[in-house]
Amino acid sequence: MNGYLGVDIGSISTKGVIIDENNKILVSEYIWTEGNPTEAVTKLIEILKSKLPNDLKIKGIGTTGSARKLIGLLLDANVVKNEITAHAIGTLSKYPNTKTILEIGGQDSKIILIEDGIIIDYAMNTLCAAGTGSFLSSQAKRLGIEVEDFGNYALKSKNPVKIAARCTVFAESDLVHKAQVGYLKEDIIAGLCRAVVLNYLNNVGKGKKIKGPIVFQGGVSKNKGVLKYFEETLNEKITVDKDSHLMGALGVAILSKNNKKDTIYNLNIKNIEFKTKGLECNGCANNCEILKIYKNKDLIDVWGSKCGKTFK
Amino acid sequence: MDKIKIGIPRGLFYYYDGYFLKNFFEYLNFEVVVSPETNRIIIDEGMKYANDEMCLSLKVFLGHIAYLQDKCDYLLIMRIDNYGKYNQTCTNFLSLYDLVTNLFTIPTLDINIEYTNKENMYIGLKKICQKFNISNSKIKNAYDSALIKNKKHNKNLITINKNKLNKKGLKLLLVAHAYNINDEYIGKPIIKYLENNNINVIFSNNFETKEILNLSYKYCPNLYWYYNKENIGSIVKIEDKIDGIIFLSSFPCGPDSLVNELVIRKIRKPYINLVIDDLNSLTGIETRLESFIDILEQRV
Repeated sequence: MNGYLGVDIGSISTKGVIIDENNKILVSEYIWTEGNPTEAVTKLIEILKSKLPNDLKIKGIGTTGSARKLIGLLLDANVVKNEITAHAIGTLSKYPNTKTILEIGGQDSKIILIEDGIIIDYAMNTLCAAGTGSFLSSQAKRLGIEVEDFGNYALKSKNPVKIAARCTVFAESDLVHKAQVGYLKEDIIAGLCRAVVLNYLNNVGKGKKIKGPIVFQGGVSKNKGVLKYFEETLNEKITVDKDSHLMGALGVAILSKNNKKDTIYNLNIKNIEFKTKGLECNGCANNCEILKIYKNKDLIDVWGSKCGKTFK
Repeated sequence: MDKIKIGIPRGLFYYYDGYFLKNFFEYLNFEVVVSPETNRIIIDEGMKYANDEMCLSLKVFLGHIAYLQDKCDYLLIMRIDNYGKYNQTCTNFLSLYDLVTNLFTIPTLDINIEYTNKENMYIGLKKICQKFNISNSKIKNAYDSALIKNKKHNKNLITINKNKLNKKGLKLLLVAHAYNINDEYIGKPIIKYLENNNINVIFSNNFETKEILNLSYKYCPNLYWYYNKENIGSIVKIEDKIDGIIFLSSFPCGPDSLVNELVIRKIRKPYINLVIDDLNSLTGIETRLESFIDILEQRV
């Protein structure tokens, strides 16, 4: 049997799926990136391997997410693709009628508009990470609860507080203030979830025609509070797949299947020593930040040089 | 006797008049020193002199001045106020002269462009030349010679731009100010990325100025920012012949933030809006460009 591996390495979490020829997910895994994508992927692959049926041959590997280039190199992937395309393809394989994809991840949030199975427009947050998963998890830590429980707390609230939705810094000072004057924790959390929704619709969704069927995905889609306020604000039923966090990985696995060559991957990366080394080149006034990538002590790639100078 | 050295910073007005000015002063036997393409050190120097609310392009410009301050006898600065009543520039161009003379001690030569006050390039250059006792006839000759070269130079750029419209493959219009398109750190990395992906990039600044200024009224009848009119006019001119538009501006450009928003509501082509600040990494921009190209390829 043939399988295809898709890996989505985000800022917060690393997701992996292995699919069969019919795009069915055979195994999947979701772990924290913890600031070290290579280690996270090594761990991820080991977990996936332990769950695999014996007769499966991996014939394609695709990577997406913010560390897609680095991990693509590590895994020798045949497809390295941006998150927008990967997510749209993943979602469309499960919900071919989708017209709008709302996505909130660790530091990106995006909206993808689709017509007849073709992406016609998208928007991504500007480089500011306001209202994304990393904001929610830092607030969870501050309030002393697990980010996974956020949704349940929010649903308990009858009176969500008003929180400035524009900017994380203002939102945080609002939050501190509301907590200090004695608002209930669940009301603050519900207010936070609503602020995430309003921030998203005002920034990313600005000026876009959001039509149903709508699919909501990315890590934050697991948060029932955010989902509730999306449905309330948009006045539409929104689908959240049980694998909504895996859509990017699924999409890029499908892309690698469509792009397959006659290679069989063995996935033995545990014993490969993969190291990156950053340095500042002082060869000219550009002072480029150079990243050298080593595989088993061999230099396999160098990034960041503006002039194309070779490094040893 | 050693030639007198005039320094021209490679930023802002350089990308409109730099070629002309260089030829003019070289004709009159001055040595013209143009600062090099923007590099990391120039940007970092610029940051030191700049106020945090200035746009990236102005910060870069100040870095070029800092580079030149000990490499020339005079620094050439243009203060551009307007090219007529409804053809104004942004406050950066207006404040350049005062900003530089306040921040740096090097002697300056200034050209004031203020058509409403009958101040134009020729008069400005004449005032400078009189300080060096250059005769009127010589000034006239230098001016004409530089003008001819400049016309040829521009015509060449316009032809290259036009020819891209007949090429095969995706055609994208890059809408940005000349000083952002041509800057090694702002526009060039984006152009390189696009061209490596076999995209024909057409530049909003390489068109017949008069023609596109007039065309701009179709989308914005009462705009008064001269440089933004050029941007809009280029869209009106070739919108039917391109596959998409990339808006590029430097953070936090006032006119662009207003005008791009306004135009985006009227255009009928796919677009993305990129805002560049002092970022060391191009990854975020590349993700956006790559997915934009993916979408366009799916549509075609």
